[in-house]
Amino acid sequence: MGERYDAIVIGGGHNGLTAAAYLARSGLRTVVLERRHLLGGAAVTEEVFPGFRFSVASYVVSLLRPEIIRDLNLPAHGLEILPLDGTMTPLDGDYLWRVNDHGRTMRELRRWSISDAEAYEEYGQLMVDMARFVKPILAMTPPDPGRPRPTEWLPLGQMVKAWRALSNRQRDVFIQLMTMSATEFLQQWFETDPLIATMSASGIIGTFQGVRSPGTAYVLLHHYMGEIDGAFRAWGIPRGGTGGVSNAIGDAARALGAEIRCRATVGSLLVEGDRVTGVALDTGEELHADVVLSSLDARQTFLKLTPSGALDRSFTDEVGRFRFRGSSGKVNLALDALPEFSCLPNSVTTEHLRGALSFSPSVERMELAYDDAKHGRPSRRPYIDMIIPTMVDPSMAPPGKHVMSCFVQYAPYHLADGKRWDDQQRDALGETVIDTIEERVPKIRDLILHKQVLTPLDMEETFGLSEGNIFQGELSLEQLFFNRPVPGWAGFRTPLRSLWMCGSAVHPGGGIMGAPGRIAALEVAKELRRGRSRTGAGGGR
Amino acid sequence: MSASAGRFDVVVVGAGHNGLTCAALLGRAGLRVLVVERRERVGGAADTVEIAPGVRAPLAHGIGRMRGSVVRELELERHGLRFIRPNALATALHPGGRAVRFVRDPHRTADGLREWSAKDAEAWASFDRKVRALASVMAWLHAMTPPDLVAPSMADAVAALKLGSALRGLGGPSNLRETIRVLPTAVADFVEDHLDSDAVRTAVAVGGVRYTAMGPRAAGSTAVLLAELAGTTSGPAGESATAAGGPGALSEALAAAVRAAGGEVRCGTEVRRVTVAGDRASGVVLAGGEEVAAGAVVSGADPRRTLLDLIDPEVLGPSLGWRAGTIRVPGTVAKVHLALDGPPAFTAASDGEVEGRLLVNATGIDELDLAFDPSKYGRLPERPFLDVTVPTAADPTLAPEGTHVVSAMVQWVPFELRDGSWDDAASRDALADLVTTSLEEHAPGLAGHVVARHVVTPADLEREYGLTGGHPLHAEPGLDQFFAWRPALGMARYRLPVPGLYLCGSGAHPGGGITGAPGANAAREIQADLRRR
Repeated sequence: MGERYDAIVIGGGHNGLTAAAYLARSGLRTVVLERRHLLGGAAVTEEVFPGFRFSVASYVVSLLRPEIIRDLNLPAHGLEILPLDGTMTPLDGDYLWRVNDHGRTMRELRRWSISDAEAYEEYGQLMVDMARFVKPILAMTPPDPGRPRPTEWLPLGQMVKAWRALSNRQRDVFIQLMTMSATEFLQQWFETDPLIATMSASGIIGTFQGVRSPGTAYVLLHHYMGEIDGAFRAWGIPRGGTGGVSNAIGDAARALGAEIRCRATVGSLLVEGDRVTGVALDTGEELHADVVLSSLDARQTFLKLTPSGALDRSFTDEVGRFRFRGSSGKVNLALDALPEFSCLPNSVTTEHLRGALSFSPSVERMELAYDDAKHGRPSRRPYIDMIIPTMVDPSMAPPGKHVMSCFVQYAPYHLADGKRWDDQQRDALGETVIDTIEERVPKIRDLILHKQVLTPLDMEETFGLSEGNIFQGELSLEQLFFNRPVPGWAGFRTPLRSLWMCGSAVHPGGGIMGAPGRIAALEVAKELRRGRSRTGAGGGR
Repeated sequence: MSASAGRFDVVVVGAGHNGLTCAALLGRAGLRVLVVERRERVGGAADTVEIAPGVRAPLAHGIGRMRGSVVRELELERHGLRFIRPNALATALHPGGRAVRFVRDPHRTADGLREWSAKDAEAWASFDRKVRALASVMAWLHAMTPPDLVAPSMADAVAALKLGSALRGLGGPSNLRETIRVLPTAVADFVEDHLDSDAVRTAVAVGGVRYTAMGPRAAGSTAVLLAELAGTTSGPAGESATAAGGPGALSEALAAAVRAAGGEVRCGTEVRRVTVAGDRASGVVLAGGEEVAAGAVVSGADPRRTLLDLIDPEVLGPSLGWRAGTIRVPGTVAKVHLALDGPPAFTAASDGEVEGRLLVNATGIDELDLAFDPSKYGRLPERPFLDVTVPTAADPTLAPEGTHVVSAMVQWVPFELRDGSWDDAASRDALADLVTTSLEEHAPGLAGHVVARHVVTPADLEREYGLTGGHPLHAEPGLDQFFAWRPALGMARYRLPVPGLYLCGSGAHPGGGITGAPGANAAREIQADLRRR
């Protein structure tokens, strides 16, 4: 008989850690089990090459819930978010630049189109209004439309009230946001193609969709969610990389009494009847607890960790239907010096490089990149979302050197013609990315000291993300809210009593947001309190 | 409504099948109705066109989705309509004489699928049942006037509750969850979830993309598939029923029903604009300058044309004008008709199967998606997906003896070409050649029998039939132009933003195709309003 806890959290990613911190905060004896030697899951910083530290996978923070920062007092545990200022789209002999400084952005947009500059203001305000409208959904436990419980639908009643308070125009836009493609939605406002392409790009990040695929507009809205908590928090990178977020949450969890074990690989769940009683590590060690929370995705949790036969066939079929479809890769470069963009020749300032650099020159090129992926090929000219973290956090590299992070889309997990991701395919992906960068930074090859290329298969193997999907499951309309991850099981509960889900696999989904971990932990604590008050303290053991 | 306001209670703009349906139903309700049609004959796109002397071809493909209650109430069969319902529904042609064959009896269909996949043969009956159940939910939605999301009334709240319980009644919580999940799903994913063989999956999935500017991997294409099947008895493969004499015969029957109900149909007369008096639509001005006063004006034209061309922009206002202009109408369908001097001999389809629809270049989801891709960039597909009928197979009266007609709906043909223009004969020939080449692969020798070709491009659909953007469904049936927000939020209840002006065509819920459904639903709402006044 092994150790006994109130709660076991599987996975030490930012959501698992957030859940653990909240569980510990409500007085539960909690342990986090992380397979790797370090915390963070995909929100992780590693010194990949001596002196060069990288946010290996996830690379920016925009959505981390402010209530988590507050509740867990994360700044006291070392969280510091540095602003990432603006987005530059390098083009042939020109560029498109938007920054946090409103006046400068307006001047820049006017250079492209007077009407776009005007529309940009109206658009921005409308999106903030919309984000304010949907924000309560992020903190909501999704109701089950198949078996509505009055208490679950109550918050939706609030939404109906909020809906009635919207103007007709806002309602119209809300429906469009939930149903349209990012590009078609934006084309209603804007005419500058690189602007539409660059703004559309935030609708497809991490999904297996194109900028013209219906259902991508709402992801634009997702990105305005950070905006309403203050412009500063809109986009940023944590000091020390995204691992900085995970470490701060981990520290907070420890301070609240949670135990955190790295190099502890859960081999399977321990199931008795319809109840999970603990976990078995791959070393044979067993840990027992009243509740087990999995921050892994649905496939890992239900099809790999759960002993076969413990779940209904109909449920595992549903899990089997859930779509992952990783679509992105990551290329991390260690650079000898700051790169020079050909669209900024002899530039005296480097301020354009302090934000995101978006390789999204036209809607057509974005869509062509998607066409490749649909047919099982890495994009010949991928969309790249690049940042140079050393511009705002020089501690990431030795003095004078730089690190460059390139998020690459599309790199489909499933390749056509029976090909599989191997060393050769990985090299090819790296070369394609560097070729694409070279079009805008002609001397890039001379600057590269080291490179790290992550394919979707690497993401699966390293971070346990099925099919390399960075959101633990495609963010398509039919896999959101009450359908995430399985219709009827969106409320963080699972068919196995005392097993809960707390990662990006459940509502409200992916991104360094922490919301699933927080809401799940609060639901668990509520349920345990209820159970104990019913059966007396320590009931159910 | 005062009787002295004029000779007409209602004037209907456009004698398409929905305008006629609406007019006939209003006429039967005792209203005095005038239908005004720009073209020389009724029908709009429900038209039979003469492609060579004495040789006629259907413009709209079939009429199998025509709402049964409309056919009965208007006694269309008494007015000359005769349905032809082939036993064959659809046959997806593959190389080497193979085919995926759908017929009316699901068990026979299942037997035939064994050649592709034993699993699919086993699963077909339950898939067929499931699709029918989901389509019946859609049919239920189609019959209703969408709730008012802008200013919800008690009646709308009651309707929403009824909807919820009706959906739940379809088989418990899991069915309701399933309906909600399925609607936004890409049709490629929907068929992948239920079927095993790519060939069978694709032959079903085409119903989710036909007449749309979506590929099989687009969210919401499953809703299109289910809408297509709603109210039919065909199951997953879709209908193949036609009218004897072509779709024009349906339109003639509808026009006869209008007249029988005391209405008047005036062809060759264009409506210039809708007149407005005191913020209310008061009638129309005809091309000759004649004014016709009426208590209500009903437009069978598409919503963009209705709002932008028929109404004074000052009455509409800049915001609504802008919004009307953003209604999406990406037409991507063309038709190619061939007259042959001998019967086409399809390697993979029997004589009976040729009476149904033949699917060409729909052998795999990827092939379908590859046919879609070029249209995004204004180009023609190399291997276009074709939905083909041989109308003369079941209805020899369409052409002189010995002459046969092949009618191909060509999917994903851009409205505007990136290189060239539809005004160039070369572009039109290239399209006809593409079709002939694809057909020749399945009916060797066919090309040698072609005696006449007739091409209808998306640009022609706009020019000839007034379909803005060449969209045969008046507005793209995407999730953004669906149900309570079709064609746009605030316009989904057949009432347009100008009081007294109504929309009764395919741009209104439940959308396009030869169904008569928007026309019938609109007639119900117009009657209710006129009674109230």
